Amino acid sequence: MNATPTRLLAVELGVERRDVTVQASFGLEAGQRLAIFGTSGAGKTTILESIAGLTRLSRGNVRIEGHLVAGKAGNEPALAPRDRQVALVRQPTTLFPHLTVEQNVAYGIRRSPARGRVTELLERLGLSMLARARGSALSGGQRQRVALGRALASPFRVLLLDEPLSAVDVAAREALRSLTIETATERDAAGIMVSHDLTEAQAFGDQLAVIDAGQLLQVGGALDVVLSPVSRRVAELVGYGGFVPAPLAADGWFAIHPDRVLLGAAPERGVVLSGIVLSTRPFGPRYECTVTESSGARFTIHVDEPLPAGVECTITALDPPVVAA
Amino acid sequence: MTTNTPAGNLAATGVVPGFPSAGRIVARGSTALALLGALVIWLALLGPFAVLIQHLSLHSIRTALGPPGALDPLWVSLGASAIALGVMVLLGTPLAYLLARGRLPLARLVELGILLPLMMPPLVIGLLLIFLIGPEGTLGMLLADIHLTGVNTFFALIVAEFYEAAPFYVLGAHAAFASVDPRVEQDATLLGDRPLQAFRRITLPLAAPGLATGLATAWARAMGAFGAVIIVAYYPRGLPNQIFIAFQEFGLSGALPFALLLVVAALPLPVLAYLWSARTRARVAGVEAP
Repeated sequence: MNATPTRLLAVELGVERRDVTVQASFGLEAGQRLAIFGTSGAGKTTILESIAGLTRLSRGNVRIEGHLVAGKAGNEPALAPRDRQVALVRQPTTLFPHLTVEQNVAYGIRRSPARGRVTELLERLGLSMLARARGSALSGGQRQRVALGRALASPFRVLLLDEPLSAVDVAAREALRSLTIETATERDAAGIMVSHDLTEAQAFGDQLAVIDAGQLLQVGGALDVVLSPVSRRVAELVGYGGFVPAPLAADGWFAIHPDRVLLGAAPERGVVLSGIVLSTRPFGPRYECTVTESSGARFTIHVDEPLPAGVECTITALDPPVVAA
Repeated sequence: MTTNTPAGNLAATGVVPGFPSAGRIVARGSTALALLGALVIWLALLGPFAVLIQHLSLHSIRTALGPPGALDPLWVSLGASAIALGVMVLLGTPLAYLLARGRLPLARLVELGILLPLMMPPLVIGLLLIFLIGPEGTLGMLLADIHLTGVNTFFALIVAEFYEAAPFYVLGAHAAFASVDPRVEQDATLLGDRPLQAFRRITLPLAAPGLATGLATAWARAMGAFGAVIIVAYYPRGLPNQIFIAFQEFGLSGALPFALLLVVAALPLPVLAYLWSARTRARVAGVEAP
């Protein structure tokens, strides 16, 4: 018996792009979900397409259930695309334009008993009325639903999602996300979603990876990465709005998250900072204030009531992480 | 909230002060010019057809096409064009696909080779073919070993038609395959298709309108091939040769019935292919067919 069971997905890859070298190294067990979060052009899609075996690797390889799907490993042949059991939802969405919505969703189903699932899927995707429409007649959000349905209906072990809900109405996202997670869990599959929307990424992944300029900067629990960024760059990417020198840490900075502050001094809950309000602007149902601290450092905070520019304010940053410059 | 600012009025009327007349004049002028262009082109293209019908009588058609064996050139042309087209599809389709997907080494050189017959005068092609497949030609001697002759045979007619028509099919098929997003083929293989299955289920249906147009154009070219044909395949006599010979022997009145026969034989397929392509493209695009 093998003492170390084979991971469902093992990724160790390097891809030389014209603009950047994309490198990633991680593994997923059956049932795990990873969200890769980063800015546009950071290499998120390259990682997904490499895992699907659609992008040529410069080095390393990708294995699914121990089988090589991309890259090289001696004389070992790579698994043919049809045998990889990978479902990929792409951005921009690709549908089979000459087929109807129903035919698109059913495309990957080989056995007729599983076709009953198509009707159920169409209903849950809100596409029942459009079953006989062609892809070209659909809106961006509807196209994404079809692409998602097509992936979920196929017999996948690895589910790869590239911003799958970006064009879907916010109100419908939760239901579609639940359907996706539920299906992946039923199949005991591994799932990876890439997104440049942090809340979307956190809602999908139990693990979160932050990528910047082709490098995976941090991989960890979906909340842990946000609460404990390992570097200033990660902190910036996950939404920290300012950095204040940390007196006890040489070359260390308190990272201030706009949503993790209290107005007033509460030293038992974090670090108390004072400063002058520079500006205030509406931010959704709240206000975003830019504050300059005595050291000259600036940070932003989100508050319920507007703070007039020029007034002095005291805030408590709740357990701010200390990051290196 | 409504505003009564000039900007608000502009938005309501869609008129930009100072520019409306100039804009409208340019727009109307362009439309008139386009309509005039369309009319001139239609008249220029349809004029000869009208003249053909006008100068033909039932009597002259019966006289020319009635005698036994008079329709032989039609069968020769149909047979040779069908075989040439079959070979084109068999060899040209994979070539066009690989070219479109950039998977062919020395692709530019191959493309140039395909374009060359289009750039060269057909008569010159005919002369060069004699050097190649004629009895004294390098290939001709090899063909002789398998009892094929490259001059004045049905085989020579097929080769000459192939040379004149194949580029139209290959270039049309190349454009048709290039219009299919390679990512949808990748999606099909990830969803369980073998490459050939993905080609049959996805690529072929999506490229079909373009392939049909290319095939129809090539058919019309093969049926009407004359320049190279008259050099390498004066016999067996196909329809274009028959028109030329009838014209020389009996003048215009003797040639016109065969011209009508060629049009009737060659044109329906391209017209049907065009209508089918337009309908299929519209259906895939989610627009009603005209």
